Amino acid sequence: MNQISRKKRRLSLTGKIFAVTVLLLVIGAIGFGCVKGLTAIGWSGGVVSDDTIYLGTQEGRLVAFNLTDESRLSAEKISAGSSGGGLFGCIPAGGGCAGGAGVAIYGTPYFTDELVYIAGYNGKVYAYNKENLATRWVYPREGYLEPIVGGVVVSDGRLYFGGSDGYVYALDAETGDFLWEADTRSEDYKRDKIWATPAIADGTMYIGSTNKVFYAFNTADGSRKWVFPTEGAVTATPLVVDGTVYIGSHDRYLYALNAADGTLKWKFMAENWFWAKPLLHDGKIYAACLDGKVYVLDAATGSKLNEFDLEEPLASDPVMHDDNVIFCTREGAIYSINTAQNSLRQLAVINEGKVEINGPLAIHDGVIYIHTSDLLLRRVNAETGAILSSLVLSFGE
Amino acid sequence: MNPWELIIQQPLINCLIVIASVFGGNFGVSIIILTIVINLAMLPLTLSQIRSSKKMMDLQPKLAELQKKHAKDKQKLAQEQMALYKETGIKPAGCLLTFVIQLPVWIALYQSIMLAMAIAPEGLLNLSSYLYHWEAVFNALPLSRSFLGLNLAEPNFILAIFVGITQWVQQKMAQAPSTDPRQAQQSQMMLWLFPMMFTLISISFPAGLPLYWVTNSIIRIIIQYKLAGWGGLSRKPKTDEGGRDKKYVDLISSAERKSTDEVGADIVITEQQQQPSKNRYLPGKDREKHRKRK
Repeated sequence: MNQISRKKRRLSLTGKIFAVTVLLLVIGAIGFGCVKGLTAIGWSGGVVSDDTIYLGTQEGRLVAFNLTDESRLSAEKISAGSSGGGLFGCIPAGGGCAGGAGVAIYGTPYFTDELVYIAGYNGKVYAYNKENLATRWVYPREGYLEPIVGGVVVSDGRLYFGGSDGYVYALDAETGDFLWEADTRSEDYKRDKIWATPAIADGTMYIGSTNKVFYAFNTADGSRKWVFPTEGAVTATPLVVDGTVYIGSHDRYLYALNAADGTLKWKFMAENWFWAKPLLHDGKIYAACLDGKVYVLDAATGSKLNEFDLEEPLASDPVMHDDNVIFCTREGAIYSINTAQNSLRQLAVINEGKVEINGPLAIHDGVIYIHTSDLLLRRVNAETGAILSSLVLSFGE
Repeated sequence: MNPWELIIQQPLINCLIVIASVFGGNFGVSIIILTIVINLAMLPLTLSQIRSSKKMMDLQPKLAELQKKHAKDKQKLAQEQMALYKETGIKPAGCLLTFVIQLPVWIALYQSIMLAMAIAPEGLLNLSSYLYHWEAVFNALPLSRSFLGLNLAEPNFILAIFVGITQWVQQKMAQAPSTDPRQAQQSQMMLWLFPMMFTLISISFPAGLPLYWVTNSIIRIIIQYKLAGWGGLSRKPKTDEGGRDKKYVDLISSAERKSTDEVGADIVITEQQQQPSKNRYLPGKDREKHRKRK
């Protein structure tokens, strides 16, 4: 009897030790597990050409959906760089590792008459035939550059992009041959990652860097035209219209610069970073900010005409539909601002904050296309706000 | 933002960024300074933990005696041990409790470091939601990841090895000698298991995290040394006799030869122990020595 009670006591003590150990392990595993945002997942937006939407998925491939019959095509999955995702999949080096999903693609694809282009976080640029998504060329043909986060832009037969190595590149858009590269480092500025998509206008390439400087390069040879230093990293895509460059920075300012010489026209301060590309309509700038507000500014003077509080951070580039500018918050609330009436309307809420929306919106035939982090292409009617059936982006392994 | 993020993570992240901005945007310096500050804030808890460990170490001979005395009666042994703990003011669960209280702080610091480093584009975007509306914070970002030739955003093998070494030293110093062979074996296993585990994790994570772990371990080693000396690191290696320390072996083996139960005494002095040793104070002899010196 005494022996049994001793055994019981010993068991209960062992049980307690076991329970405490398990509890500590669980707390440790949760607490010391992967922190949100360590893994490169990607947020490529969609681009529509001939009734087909192209976008890069989190599985690391270019996907094309025919919007008439909803048939889909996929390019070959792009391969990760030399360095993997680390033992616990927490290092985004070499191409992302969202549970081993694939190489992250951040930039929206760019298309020409024959080809579609994407850039991967693995440090490669790919060109595919529009018809069948067969690979036309890859740059670099061997090895990898540093991760490419911004998108590519094609102009006059040349493809331009910036890399995390702090260089901007120009390639022959037809063949993928290297044309020139330009270093963002100088005596005054150190080299840092370029995570922005460039804008091309009048023989000039405009691009920002995380070294807090905004650059203008000559597209002919990559020579530097001018620089504009800010107080924060520049990751937004610039908007270039009628000789003015509008660019948002992490120093909370939206700048309007003379495209010719980079001199400041005006600047406007918000409460957080400008991550999204601004939109110009009818002489007004609509600028979405990570402080959860959309600022309406006079394009000529920068004075604030209005502001709309959407209460959630905004990272996606907006789109225009008739007289409405459409925005989507990171939590999935879609709003429409009527530019004529200066009024705000919530169109829809997709997925109620369970997924993140960071990539640019796309619009075609009155339907808004939103790439969400759950491998779906959500569709919302731009007029009524009705949520339409989603397109599945996953092709599996 | 949930309460954990609002109360713990957000202030820590902003502290890291502000400290970095003071030191030219150097994130490595920021990690080291904040780790020191957090350690200073946790000093009362750390001190009580180390003091408890030291008391436990000092108590080992008495525990060994008890174990031998009540080798056959585990219940009695447990009662006697508890009485001894009570008498000396030691709370065996105290060390664990202190660790449990400290754990969330270390987790918060780890999470803040990883978030502030903003390695992937998603990380940088997420960071924006944690920032206070201070100019110093906005202007400091993105933080420089270069520190003493290391890229804090990428894994570093050498730093990972340092994590293992410093953790092993710290654990070895804090390790109390155990009279229970099973317990001693477990301690020995833990001594190698944790440093190896953390080394493996460090190889996979950005170097900013191992830098925090190394700094933390070094601070703990210094505190431990100041308070309790080299502890387990200076003790002689254990014999094969059930993992006991050599200095206790003579006493225990003599007790084993003659059980205290047989004589009804608490402490048994054997013939060997009655013989004068070199270090023992001998009144007559020592008085003579003293006179000679005079």
